[in-house]
Amino acid sequence: MLMTGAQYIESLRKLKTRVYMFGEKVDNWIDHPIIRPSINSVKMTYDLALDPECADLMTAKSNITGEIINRFNHLHQSTDDLRKKVKMQRLLGQKTASCFQRCVGMDAFNAEYSTTYEIDKKYGTEYHKRFEKYLKYVQDNDLTVDGAMTDPKGDRAKSPSQQEDPDLFVRIVEKREDGIVVRGAKAHQTGSINSHEHLVMPTISLTESDKAYAVSFAVPSDVDGLFMIYGRQSCDTRKMEEGADIDLGNKQYGGQEALVVFDDVFVPWERVFMCEEWDFAGMLVERFAGYHRQSYGGCKVGVGDVIIGAAALAADYNGANKASHIKDKLIEMTHLNETLYCCGIACSAEGYPTEAGNYQIDMLLANVCKQNVTRFPYEIVRLAEDIAGGLMVTMPSEKDFKSNLKVGRNGETIGDVCNKYFKGSPVTSTENRMRILRFIENVALGTAAVGYRTESLHGAGSPQAQRIMIARQGNIEGKKELAKKIAGIK
Amino acid sequence: MLCGVKFCGGCNPRFERGEVLKKLKEHFAGRVDFMYAEEEAVYDILLIIGGCTNCCASYCEYEAKKGNIMLWDPDHVERVVHELEHILLSAADDRQELV
Repeated sequence: MLMTGAQYIESLRKLKTRVYMFGEKVDNWIDHPIIRPSINSVKMTYDLALDPECADLMTAKSNITGEIINRFNHLHQSTDDLRKKVKMQRLLGQKTASCFQRCVGMDAFNAEYSTTYEIDKKYGTEYHKRFEKYLKYVQDNDLTVDGAMTDPKGDRAKSPSQQEDPDLFVRIVEKREDGIVVRGAKAHQTGSINSHEHLVMPTISLTESDKAYAVSFAVPSDVDGLFMIYGRQSCDTRKMEEGADIDLGNKQYGGQEALVVFDDVFVPWERVFMCEEWDFAGMLVERFAGYHRQSYGGCKVGVGDVIIGAAALAADYNGANKASHIKDKLIEMTHLNETLYCCGIACSAEGYPTEAGNYQIDMLLANVCKQNVTRFPYEIVRLAEDIAGGLMVTMPSEKDFKSNLKVGRNGETIGDVCNKYFKGSPVTSTENRMRILRFIENVALGTAAVGYRTESLHGAGSPQAQRIMIARQGNIEGKKELAKKIAGIK
Repeated sequence: MLCGVKFCGGCNPRFERGEVLKKLKEHFAGRVDFMYAEEEAVYDILLIIGGCTNCCASYCEYEAKKGNIMLWDPDHVERVVHELEHILLSAADDRQELV
């Protein structure tokens, strides 16, 4: 059953999720001005699923129940499904100009589904059946789930079990007859507060000495012992200003990350999907990362579409739209953005079925996709800043533009002065010029820069993680043979 | 006549797909009922509206007695109007023959 966006927000109100921000507990986090824009972004994933003009991308038929479900809760059944996933993400990026947070759950479902199948095959466990039952519950209730992977990791030179503090990776601290108790934390958790559930996975390949860290499980976001500390974003407190609108750049939508703490959380066995099978941690991580690297070839492209549009508007409003170098910069931005999309589509089109039956992306192309994402958005946003001009960071506030305080010799107000001196092309108002410049500021160095810049760099794995995968998948030996043959080397 | 309508998802449409449907609805007011396609229903014709040349909407799951019409460019409206008019005319002829 698909939820409406409004029903999604009401469903969050029923949870008793523990959220802390600026050193204090936030009781009504749903209506908090810093948090609400990120909830609105997730809400869009519900609203568009019910829109006939978007439903082809936003929904799919469940292979488990045969019902129409939100694509974010779907197991990819074909390469067409994989392509539609990327297109859906582009669409949502266009509609929110933000991270809409629900991809981590979708990518975790698909990685868990195939990995649990293969664990069971080796060890005769029943994780796959448990996971399918859990996913049916998620699909039936149209839930948002945080796929939680990244541990704080402490000293990077040491494995989980070698850390001075053993809690720096999520671990099993007790095995009981009815379940397990886990302790630790997951960092940088996208959309965690806005999720009904958390689906936890290990963060790296493990050895036998780290088997206590080979754990995967699902818990409700308000389970006893779980709490979250909100990650702050550049310029976030602008959202707390009374009547804030133009200065926010993107008033309605945003992204969200938090530290999620598991303070001795009990997990019943039916929600445990890996317990000490350390030799499968790497498979789960690799598959999740692969899907997530594909995701970036959709979501960042959608945000890029909005940025290109904003840069073109800024050029119009500045009166610079006819300059050849401006046109060329817009072409370059489009070229870079569509290159990212090409990679997202390519790794999807070259996907293949796993042993469990759901489809996996092409690992080499997905890693190439994400490697490009670590670079191109920076260039796209640099060009947007170039076109916008310095005013995007030196402009007075909205309050100044609207101020009636008389300051001029002839009674001119601060607002009059600002509107006089910051007027651009006659094609638009000074306010519209401000609005588009503030949007570019937001995505270049405000709250949305978290999602468009640094998340592009480190999300789904930092650049070096992709280079390792590219090295593994690159088939250099095969290429040497090609060269030998052409060059006549025996 | 009943016409099922299926849109692509609209990830990067080159035109306002909804506007095109609006135009068709206006043109065929009182003669063709356009409805968003559902699996259980049977339509006379299925209209698939894509936002680009890929026109990637899934439509195999829908049933249409007289086949499918694809549209992925506003320039196609004229052709679609012609095809629908033709189907309406054939249907009228069939009815007349029965009488």
